[in-house]
Amino acid sequence: MASLMQEFTKGLWKELPPFRLVLGLCPTLAVTNTANNGLGMGAAVIFVLALSNVIISLVRNIIPKKVRIACFIAIAASLVVAVEMLMQAFAYPLYEQLGIFVPLIVVNCIILGRAEAFAAKNGPMASLADGLGMGIGFTFSLTFLGAIRESFGAGTLFGVSLFGPGYEPFTFMVQAPGAFVCLGLILAGMNYLNIWQAKRKGVELDPNFDAGCSGCGACKAMDKLAAQKKLERLETAKG
Amino acid sequence: MASQDITKNIFTVTSAPLWHCGKTLQSNMIQTLLALLPVAVMAGYKYGFAAVSVMAWAALTAVITEALVQKLMGQEPSADDFSALVDGLLFAFLLPATAPAWMVVVGSAAMVILGRMVFGGYGGSPLCAPAVGWGILAISWPDFMDLNGMLLNWDLIEPLSELKYFGLDAIAGVTPVSLLLGENLGDLGASQAGLVLVAGLFLMARGIVRWFIPVSFLAGVLVTGLVYNLIDPQAYASPVFHLLSGSTLLAAFFLMPYPSSSPAWRLPMLLFGFFGGAMVIIIRTYGIYPDGACFAVLLANLCTPLFDLIQPKPFGGR
Repeated sequence: MASLMQEFTKGLWKELPPFRLVLGLCPTLAVTNTANNGLGMGAAVIFVLALSNVIISLVRNIIPKKVRIACFIAIAASLVVAVEMLMQAFAYPLYEQLGIFVPLIVVNCIILGRAEAFAAKNGPMASLADGLGMGIGFTFSLTFLGAIRESFGAGTLFGVSLFGPGYEPFTFMVQAPGAFVCLGLILAGMNYLNIWQAKRKGVELDPNFDAGCSGCGACKAMDKLAAQKKLERLETAKG
Repeated sequence: MASQDITKNIFTVTSAPLWHCGKTLQSNMIQTLLALLPVAVMAGYKYGFAAVSVMAWAALTAVITEALVQKLMGQEPSADDFSALVDGLLFAFLLPATAPAWMVVVGSAAMVILGRMVFGGYGGSPLCAPAVGWGILAISWPDFMDLNGMLLNWDLIEPLSELKYFGLDAIAGVTPVSLLLGENLGDLGASQAGLVLVAGLFLMARGIVRWFIPVSFLAGVLVTGLVYNLIDPQAYASPVFHLLSGSTLLAAFFLMPYPSSSPAWRLPMLLFGFFGGAMVIIIRTYGIYPDGACFAVLLANLCTPLFDLIQPKPFGGR
């Protein structure tokens, strides 16, 4: 149970998808011009991520290793189609707002990333916890970014006017360059927070600490592969 | 990784007797300020108190914001090298004289923070800071940056807006001489074309700005303008008009050769300038904004790393 809790909470802060793993930036930058859009996009991603994680984890032993990416994409795509149709049926204004970015959830790095790095190696319960945590973290990040951009760029928050009629909207923030600038400043803020925390605890800061290493292990696999190849080369050279 | 590389000392210095040429950033900036002074005085004379207050707000905000951010970042305060003051003044030169004070303050602060300090301060920025400030304001509040709309009190015309919205006939009365003398409306400093030209030539004569970038920039404007003009003289303005109107000259002498955002070697500098100049005409012709000089500068800045790939061959290298 404790480990399930850990899988769930790591997506909320330690491996917060857009701000820590820096994954899933396409929707993060494109749809967050209002807090509402961020929330809606996040809800769609929670649904797809949690279900795709569970399904992939259930079939992980049946899928041949060589075609696993194609299988993951097919599973995610079916779920995304479901979400798209549900949105058309029950939240049409939101669907109009998000437009092309709903179908694009299929190629969102988070979905494939969690499938490859977590669901393909762990059981369904742990995968569900991981997917839910990551999805909620993603939603939280998108809503946060959307709230910042909306309140400065349009003077409203969730459609409610904040500064009164005299406010001239800072339109830069709700346009594309504002998204990049905001994301950069938030990333800088996160790093500053980490440095401050590490300093307070008095520990040396690992430069790669926030790369989500615990969940991925890609570089360890690469190292292993390289070592193996070197060994082979040495052996052929001897032989 | 990158931060470690920067701290590593990789300079090789030739053996002793070394001679300092005596130039400092401070002396360069004081001479730049000296060059800009007549332009500022002329702007104040033409637009009155409004222009003076815009320049004062912009320069003051730039210096104060820099000091505050440096305090936050734990950097040595560097207000005494006057680079923030020069940037603030250049930024003010790109605004309409009647710009509201709050907009000038927001733009100037955004210029210092996003154009300079997030990259570590003056000398670290890959973009020309005044152009960044202008870009942010032009995107955010196009109504307050619209020169024609903001300067209704003056009975003159703004050539570039006229050209954009009413075609070539509307600027038939605008002669190169009147543009040089600043007898038309425009950005409060940049439209004093003659004085800006003098200021730029002064900086070039003092060796603060090398000739490569301004000359190739102006050549880019002239050649591209001439090509369009030859294609259809009835539809496109003459290259000399483009050269003297808007903020072309200010961009050529002050924004394009911004030290950290322009290439360092001769051929890349020439290409960089020519590319920027060509983009000015292209943006003015097809863009939705009347003046494209600052956007052209920013675009050229973004291409600087590419131009910097052209490097001199080391002796004996292949």
